[in-house]
Amino acid sequence: MFTTALKGVLAHRVRLAMTALAIVLGVAFVSGTFVFTDTINARFETLFTDVYAGVDASVRPETPEFGAQPGQNPGSFDESLLADVSAVQGVSVAEGSVAGFAQIIAPNGDPIGGQGPPTLGFSWIDTAALSSVNIADGNGRAPEGPGEVVIDVGTAEGNDLSVGDEVGIQTLGGTETFEIVGLANFGTEDNLAGATLSIFSLDEGQRLFGLEGRLTAIDVLGADAVTPEALVEAIAPILPEGSEVVTGDQQTQEQLASITEGLGFLSAALLAFAGIAVFVGAFVIQNTFRIVVAQRIRELALFRAVGATGRQLVSLVTMEALIVGTAASIVGVFAGIGVATGIKAAMNAGGFGLPDGPLTVEPRTVIVGLAVGIVVTLVSALLPARRAATVPPVAAMTESAAPATGRSLRRRSLGGTLTLLIGGAMLAGGLVAENGASLTLVALGSLTLFIGVSVLAPVFAIPIARVLGRPLPGITGDLARENTIRQPRRTASTAAALMIGVALVSFVSIFAASIKATVSDTLEGAFPADLAFQSTNFTSGVSPELEAELEALDEFDIVSAVRAGYIRIDGEELNVAGVDGDVEAVYDMTPSIDVADLGDGMLVAQSVLSERGWQVGDIVDVEYAATGIVPTAIAGTFEDQTFANYIVSLDTYGANFSNESIIIAFASLSDGVAVEAGQQAAETVLASFPNLDMNTASEQIADAEAQVDQLVALFSGLLGLAVVIAVIGIANTLSLSIVERTREIGLLRAVGMTRRQIRRMVRWEAIIVAVFGALLGVLVGSGIGWATVFSLADDGLGTFAFPVGQLVIWLALAAVAGVVAAAGPARTAAKMNVLEAISYE
Amino acid sequence: MTLAPPRTATAASITDGVKTYGRGDSAVHALDGVSVDFERGAFTAIMGPSGSGKSTLLHTLAGLDALSSGSVRIGNTDLGSLNDRQLTMLRRKSVGFIFQSFNLIPTLTAEENIKLPLTIAGDSADEEWFQTIVGTVGLDDRLTHRPSELSGGQQQRVAAARALVSRPDIIFADEPSGNLDSTSGAELLGFMRRAVREFDQTIVMVTHDPVAAGYADRVVFLADGSVVDEMHEPTPERVLDRMKNLGG
Repeated sequence: MFTTALKGVLAHRVRLAMTALAIVLGVAFVSGTFVFTDTINARFETLFTDVYAGVDASVRPETPEFGAQPGQNPGSFDESLLADVSAVQGVSVAEGSVAGFAQIIAPNGDPIGGQGPPTLGFSWIDTAALSSVNIADGNGRAPEGPGEVVIDVGTAEGNDLSVGDEVGIQTLGGTETFEIVGLANFGTEDNLAGATLSIFSLDEGQRLFGLEGRLTAIDVLGADAVTPEALVEAIAPILPEGSEVVTGDQQTQEQLASITEGLGFLSAALLAFAGIAVFVGAFVIQNTFRIVVAQRIRELALFRAVGATGRQLVSLVTMEALIVGTAASIVGVFAGIGVATGIKAAMNAGGFGLPDGPLTVEPRTVIVGLAVGIVVTLVSALLPARRAATVPPVAAMTESAAPATGRSLRRRSLGGTLTLLIGGAMLAGGLVAENGASLTLVALGSLTLFIGVSVLAPVFAIPIARVLGRPLPGITGDLARENTIRQPRRTASTAAALMIGVALVSFVSIFAASIKATVSDTLEGAFPADLAFQSTNFTSGVSPELEAELEALDEFDIVSAVRAGYIRIDGEELNVAGVDGDVEAVYDMTPSIDVADLGDGMLVAQSVLSERGWQVGDIVDVEYAATGIVPTAIAGTFEDQTFANYIVSLDTYGANFSNESIIIAFASLSDGVAVEAGQQAAETVLASFPNLDMNTASEQIADAEAQVDQLVALFSGLLGLAVVIAVIGIANTLSLSIVERTREIGLLRAVGMTRRQIRRMVRWEAIIVAVFGALLGVLVGSGIGWATVFSLADDGLGTFAFPVGQLVIWLALAAVAGVVAAAGPARTAAKMNVLEAISYE
Repeated sequence: MTLAPPRTATAASITDGVKTYGRGDSAVHALDGVSVDFERGAFTAIMGPSGSGKSTLLHTLAGLDALSSGSVRIGNTDLGSLNDRQLTMLRRKSVGFIFQSFNLIPTLTAEENIKLPLTIAGDSADEEWFQTIVGTVGLDDRLTHRPSELSGGQQQRVAAARALVSRPDIIFADEPSGNLDSTSGAELLGFMRRAVREFDQTIVMVTHDPVAAGYADRVVFLADGSVVDEMHEPTPERVLDRMKNLGG
């Protein structure tokens, strides 16, 4: 049976090659994601293990249980602890250091980096074994005193900086000028994952980070024959409260874990897109096998006539699927290595300095890649294979090789509608689930919805194809239209594959447009301030001095700065903002009580009150990282759509948070001062805050929209893979149909149709199928989009926007995709030799 | 008014036609120096045993296949000088076809199938002529049916009507009654003879059925790629006799 199956595959190799391509692409994306993530993890592991190899133990401030704000200076302890630790038995060398936020400013005044990867500052460690960095050969020396800095080789090279150059370094205390005295490597790498490194002498570091007389870490080298564990045990008893000691290994593992976690998100996102591609691939595979089975009815019937059982035919087709699936999956896994290289190159081009090194191909990658490809192919081929069993032996004898059309449309309508309803219910359930949307349920619901629509699609195929085909001119248009109608199931399942990609792209478009509309509504409505100042560095705020400096300018009337931090209520980590009494004048939040009268109380957003069942006047236990549980009265409420759902006065904020840096500041202009004049005046202040962005209200909106647009572009790009596979599906179906219609095309040529007319006919057919699929996609995507936006209305997504223009563009692109898909089949059809075609059996 | 080329007495002709498949020792001469003229307004049958080259002759005459040497003319046109597009145009305007089976586009109605050559060319039908043909083949009440709703005989009559609709110089038919029962076959062949007699059409038909050949004005006998005999005013009995002598 295997030999027969293999011969079957070889006989239909051209037909199956396209199917295989669909599998290859899906598997390549899956295994590529694994290879990429494994490689990066392995490279970082090597790097970190290498870098911290010399550290036996490390003393550090205890990490607060929650509320650690990224980029802000960690806790610290008195530097006298260094002497105590050094004196512990078994300690060979102990060296203290400080670390904090340090933004490098290029000589032209632009901040370097900070758009994602962190901007790290720390003090130089003299003991090479304890230091994560080392001066690159021939690139200067370690920092020794005031005004000296060492930066990483990667940042220096990327910005044309070298030893002897001067750069600005901005810390929370302000900006100062430093001379680059050396360039450093991080372990063996030029750079650490795109981060910028600024390294100072210990004294200078302490001064810059506002940590005079204090340390943020003590790294320890143990004496010979002392294990790290023993060292930790010896040091632990002498440590003051709020600090802890861990082994070097543990430190390495923790650092790795945070990187792995970050990569985990990326990997999950990439796998989700790979999954979509595989799902679409399943449609293509199923369709191909169904057509191939239908075209081989006579051959299969002959098998039956000579004594094969129905089951043998099922296993014959299944075996063919197995062969195709296995071959394609193997190719896919190899192609995945190429995909991984591509992802890495794309990330590096985007400014993430990923460590170099060989690609890591885990056995898991190969196993999962093969399993996905083979299982999906087998499952997809199952239904067509079962049809093979129903072929009666007599079909071998009958003249007509055309398959009988499928079962009744009524059963199909019923089944499809049922699936659709179940999918819709799952989607709805997922969207309104407790504790926000349940992503898994939403995803499963959407998939079920897709299946439902594709089951129903043949029912709509005829009327929709009629309407779509009507405007097509001439006999070629008429024939194309009739060709899409003659086999509605084939047309529908071909279109369904495209539907999925288009639905998701439409969903993203609608979701993004709604976010943009909401943002612009919110900002327009709640932005009486003329200017807003916001840190360009995602990981840190801005020095509180900004507020005073802006207020000193005559051009500004009112300046209000917002601080933000984390609190915990009922164990849930939440954002809280600290504001002064002026905020109402520059930010329209219409609180029920003046912020100036808040006292120890807090303002809670309207939606939170109704969600949690609170009322103004209730006392809530608010937990701060620094001060513990503070019973706080709900003094008032405000309408949603602001920077945080919980707002406290600046006094309350100051009492419970050590960090005073500003997240955002608003300023209104004095009477008669033009926006331009205000901007000019603020520029003088901005010179000392280089990582600060100044925006007018409309710029702020444009900024937010640009960010959303970037995400849309990224998602659409990733969904492009699903669309490509669907286009392969259209091409595949068309070429199979053309093989089926060889005699018909021969006849058309015989009675005078030119090659060009044949090509046009095939192209029109592809366009009808593609636009049909895209139309379904836009409909389904709009449904899911509307449901999602509707269900998130409580979470601040207040405006549903329907980007008609964009959706029309997707439809037009689908038509173009149809033309692309038709290119090959159209050429084949046109090249057909008339004589062979008409004598074809 | 378009300037039509002067009508020749010969609708189509083949001169010293040679068609060779393969090379060297394995070469097969499907046509081995065939020369035949087909008179305008006549119904000619080509007969011969299997492998005599009769189908190849039909295909080369119709411009579907090229000769290895020799020439084919349809009307005034030498097919050897035409490229694919010009051949397509020639088939569109000057040639009609009736095949043994699969003559119709399944997605089009009978009327659309009949008018197909005109639609492809972007011409409108001469309604009077169309009605005449349809009436003659007896399809008036079947025009809106699809091929799957027609009997085999009706399908072949639609094919015949399609071959006539553009008033071509010549119609080629390849075993047109081969798949029909004798009654339907007789109807079709009778109609083809009427088209020649009453509408002055020219038909060349390949067949191996002496009864079908009996409807023709003239029978050309082919054997081993050459014309071996011809017969005017044939009857099935005479044709059968002649065939027996040919060893078919």
